[in-house]
Amino acid sequence: MKVRTEKLKVAAFLLFCAAALLLYGSSALAELTINANHDHINIDFFYNGSTVSVSGVSDPDVDLIVKISSADGHEVLKQKGKVAGILWMNVGTLEFKEAPNFYSVHCTKNIEDLLDKGEADKYVLGYSALERHVEIIPASKEEEKDRWFNEFVKYKESSKLYACSVGRLSAQSKGAKGLYYIKLDWPYQAAPGDYIVNVYAVKNKKVIEKAETKVFVEQVGIVKRLSEMAKDNGAIYGIISILAALGAGFGVGLIFRKGGGSH
Amino acid sequence: MYLYLPVALTSINILIPVGLGLAVGLLSGLFGVGGGFLMTPLLIMFGIPATVAAATDSNQIVAASTSGTYAHWRVGNVDFKMGMYLLIGGFVGGLFGVQAIKILKATGNADFVIKMTYVLMLGIVGTYMFIESLQSIRKAKKGDDAHSSESSKESAFGRFLKSLPLQTHFEKSGVTDSLLLPLLFGGFVGVLAAIMGVGGGFLMVPVMVYILRMPMHVVVGTSLFQILFNCIEVTFLQAYTNHNVDFILAVLLLLGSTVGAQVGAVFGRKLKGEQLKIILAIIVLAVTVKIIFELTLSPSLMLSQAGGH
Repeated sequence: MKVRTEKLKVAAFLLFCAAALLLYGSSALAELTINANHDHINIDFFYNGSTVSVSGVSDPDVDLIVKISSADGHEVLKQKGKVAGILWMNVGTLEFKEAPNFYSVHCTKNIEDLLDKGEADKYVLGYSALERHVEIIPASKEEEKDRWFNEFVKYKESSKLYACSVGRLSAQSKGAKGLYYIKLDWPYQAAPGDYIVNVYAVKNKKVIEKAETKVFVEQVGIVKRLSEMAKDNGAIYGIISILAALGAGFGVGLIFRKGGGSH
Repeated sequence: MYLYLPVALTSINILIPVGLGLAVGLLSGLFGVGGGFLMTPLLIMFGIPATVAAATDSNQIVAASTSGTYAHWRVGNVDFKMGMYLLIGGFVGGLFGVQAIKILKATGNADFVIKMTYVLMLGIVGTYMFIESLQSIRKAKKGDDAHSSESSKESAFGRFLKSLPLQTHFEKSGVTDSLLLPLLFGGFVGVLAAIMGVGGGFLMVPVMVYILRMPMHVVVGTSLFQILFNCIEVTFLQAYTNHNVDFILAVLLLLGSTVGAQVGAVFGRKLKGEQLKIILAIIVLAVTVKIIFELTLSPSLMLSQAGGH
């Protein structure tokens, strides 16, 4: 009798373990993952931008937001305004604090429909949240800040450093898990540095899960050497630039003389 | 084919800078201007940051003006003596101009003053050159009668210039002028060029033609000679203090501009002085109109990169 009870206990334990494993297995399948196919971009002599594909696995019944951004920085820009009522010219400067140089957000639905304001602000998701995050000096009034933030986005979008899209991020269910994918053009205007790539799983207006990876952009070869020389050895760099220009000017002059262009 | 520019931090189709270099180099060889007033805005239009565009342009002008000076020197069209006095005046004027910019920036009026100086100088110089060359061409067509009246008109101004001290003969140009003239007017152009952030060739050419009375073909060669030295200085200072010279962009630009300057010099010899002046006047006026449009039409972007003028 005792042996039977022991056997039953062992069976119950095994059953519990199997159930736990199953449960764990099913949740592991839906765990949010992120992968960037091109996580190390080399800027060489012939670089003209690149592409980055972000993909991963998610729970099938969540919405997703992918955000790629550089670290917050500050930028001073010239501000245009009217002088004497008719002439457009630079009338001063505006300082944008806590503003990333690069900001690219892509989601399965409108961000305003996916997240409540507090949650969007917490993760700085979407232009509205970014506007509340960024400080614009000296635009203190709400209306003024709104106007100049919109101009800032327009300026950044014109150099492809800011982007927001709805629907480009594709998500589909495959069995118990969801798969998501987005292919983005990586602009050559994006400066060398580290870029954080985040994916957020959203349900009931809250971020329920988040995963992160990085994209490194680095100058290599002759581009790197010239860039470093321009910064660290300005005098030598300047002299070489001048000598090269003088040499090219004389060289072409001599070629033309030999070519019979002279009198 | 695209190349990445390590200082401008941007990528560019090589045909763009080579083509721009060729076009602006052609103007340089033809008229003795550096072409900064055309090249810098064009580079900005193609996505080069304003500060890098201005600094790199000065580097490529070194090449274009070397090529152009060499081409003009071969046919004896460079007055080195006059060029040196203009250079000294321009250098001192430049120092004053830089100080003037500092004061203007401190008072917050810099942009207004720079833009207005630009429009006024381009407008006045362009209009004057256009009318004067047009009259000369008409007179030349009518015959030699006009020459006598012109020379009598010149003599009034000429008498005043002759009364100035330190009269010196400039052999290459075939003129006798007071040393004060190239020094003062070189200085005047230097002040304005520093305020406007340009080389000042489009101002120096009319000064040499109308004030110093030099023949147009010698003006072109001599202007290129002094532009060469100005741009060597500016390139070095920009590379040393601001780190804004993009070597790759400069090489692409000079590939076009050095050839353009040679072709321009050859073409220039086939044109008459009056024809050269009127074409330059039309280009200067076209740039003036473009700036007026920019000032009055609503800009598409209300923010722009800080730095430069």
